[in-house]
Amino acid sequence: MKIIKEIIEYREMIFSLIRRDLRGRYKGSVLGFMWTFINPLLQLGVYTVVFSVIMRMNIDRYYLFLFVALIPWIFFNTCLGGGTRVIFSQEDMVKKIYFPREVLPIAFATSQFINMVLAFLVIFAVIFLSGMGVSLQALLYLPLIMLIEYILALGITMFGAAATVYIRDLEQIFNIIGMAWMYLTPVLYSVDMVPEELQGLYHLNPMTSVIVAYRDILYYKKPPQLETLLNAVLLGILVLGFGWFSFSRLKRRFAEEL
Amino acid sequence: MRSQENAIEVNDITKKFRIYFDKGALLKEKVIFRNRNKYEERWVLNGISFDVKKGEAIGLIGHNGCGKSTTLKLLTRIMFPDSGSIDMCGRVSSLLELGAGFHPDMSGRDNIYINASIFGLSKKEIDNRLQDIIDFSELAEFIDNPVRTYSSGMYMRLAFSVAINVNADILLIDEILAVGDANFQNKCFNKMLEIKKKGTTIVLVSHALGQIEQICERTIWIHEGLIRMDGSPREVHNAYLEFMEDKRRQTLVEQERRQEQQESPSQEESGGEGEEAQEESQQPQKAAEKPVAQRRGSGEARMKHIKSYNRQGEEKYHFKSGEDIIFEITYETYERIEQAIFGLSIFRIDGTRCYGSNTRVDQVKEFVIEKDGKARVCFDHNKLLPGRYFVDVCIARGMDMIVDYLDTVNEFEITGITEEMGFMKMSHSWEVEGGDHVI
Repeated sequence: MKIIKEIIEYREMIFSLIRRDLRGRYKGSVLGFMWTFINPLLQLGVYTVVFSVIMRMNIDRYYLFLFVALIPWIFFNTCLGGGTRVIFSQEDMVKKIYFPREVLPIAFATSQFINMVLAFLVIFAVIFLSGMGVSLQALLYLPLIMLIEYILALGITMFGAAATVYIRDLEQIFNIIGMAWMYLTPVLYSVDMVPEELQGLYHLNPMTSVIVAYRDILYYKKPPQLETLLNAVLLGILVLGFGWFSFSRLKRRFAEEL
Repeated sequence: MRSQENAIEVNDITKKFRIYFDKGALLKEKVIFRNRNKYEERWVLNGISFDVKKGEAIGLIGHNGCGKSTTLKLLTRIMFPDSGSIDMCGRVSSLLELGAGFHPDMSGRDNIYINASIFGLSKKEIDNRLQDIIDFSELAEFIDNPVRTYSSGMYMRLAFSVAINVNADILLIDEILAVGDANFQNKCFNKMLEIKKKGTTIVLVSHALGQIEQICERTIWIHEGLIRMDGSPREVHNAYLEFMEDKRRQTLVEQERRQEQQESPSQEESGGEGEEAQEESQQPQKAAEKPVAQRRGSGEARMKHIKSYNRQGEEKYHFKSGEDIIFEITYETYERIEQAIFGLSIFRIDGTRCYGSNTRVDQVKEFVIEKDGKARVCFDHNKLLPGRYFVDVCIARGMDMIVDYLDTVNEFEITGITEEMGFMKMSHSWEVEGGDHVI
């Protein structure tokens, strides 16, 4: 509890780091902040061409089906891969200054989260252009599922950040895991296509429930099932608990290991 | 339990580091080369206890690797002791790293916010201090330019201004007062005194003993992970300097012994090109200790070493202002030299010649030398101000033939506290007309 209080005292540091990250990221590039929108659009373009022209998925408006899952996935994946660098890229700071170490992963995950929220502007634009429309009742669940995903991503970031200080390979390993994880999560395909006997196993993947919920809300325009939400919340809290615990155990020797 | 008047209580802390013989941070190495993960535990702190009262300023000294910086890191909570406890009250600010979190593409003003927030300040607190910080940095006209356009001096000035304006209850500082030009350094120094006056507790790690003497009322000398001495700066520093000098002398003696062992076969033989060549080859070894020493001259005689002594005949390299300094030049002669002249100059560490003279200028008759010998020159009551100095010595033949010239051979330090400026005391007196003394 003491640490929570201290993190709140250092809230300005979290805000500063987020501001620095968001404003500093595209400094010097011609398109600047536009990349936040262009990047997911280009990824969407590639996947759409592959999966609706070459390997046909036979899903109505596949681009939208994919897009509402892809943006949340990119957020999670960035936390998984980029989170590993959070502590040791700030080596100088960690070795020389005291601050609650939790600030760094929190700032990183939050800044990625804000990026996702901004990218949702593009999602809504695409939804309206496609003439699909939205269900307001379903939209009420959107902030909830975003929060759940944030908790999940924060947990992963904290674990990755702390463990990579001790084992540098994790940066590479996590990138590969990220790729495999994407194909094991119903991002490119529908969860119904997964064989019956694997369904149980599939729902142990916290991202499955999250992606299913996003798709329910935005693509099928219906509130997500309670079962899905419950599963996501439970797994999310579990992951955050694990991440937080391992971080607080490992952080004491950061300055010596770096 | 911390008593009311103490700001810091350190109780018997110990700290060990793992020194990996061959550290593999990669997973493969961790798994495959199990035995490579062997490490040696080295104790850096072996049980240190001290209290610092509120508003007290203390200095931590000791030679490199003695554990003083580790102590500071433990106080900062960057690291944690293996045993013992540290109890501190109030906001702690550490000046170990300047400019943390600076982003080169963002303006000076934005960077102030980032940097100050890392010290734990809230937005409101930063708003209140912004003007002070900008004023102190003297960068008002550049404050909205990106930091990458700053010179390194400006960068450090901005960073220091933020750090010094945090208004902590306890300030921990590690050798960083050397920022910017002389003017700004002076300003930083005055600011430190001002902060201290406000009742901030200060812990200062520094090799600049003079600085500690001016700010702190107490010095703790840490030696091999233990407190060796704790007392008034003057007392502790004198003991420390003496200790360091002893150590230096020991290494010199050892080095000489080693050299003699190497030389021994041909040592007894007199003169000759052979020995000279050998001596040449030893030059780098000597040079390792005084890297800038250089020799020139025709070489009929050579100076072996230059030592400095006080009036009591003790070999010393630290003197107080006003103390007698005797330099002794030991030389070897290979060929007879008529009309030999000895000279010596004292330089400040930046290369300014403070004083130089030779036997001819001093109207001492020329010497005829054909044997090895020693030349001594005594400076009564030296008038040098505190600082580091070195000596050039020379043997010449007649007016213009340099036989042997040694550059930067004897480095020594004048210690003491003074606010006088320059490099030498000059006797003087003041008289003011039309003014009365303040009573």
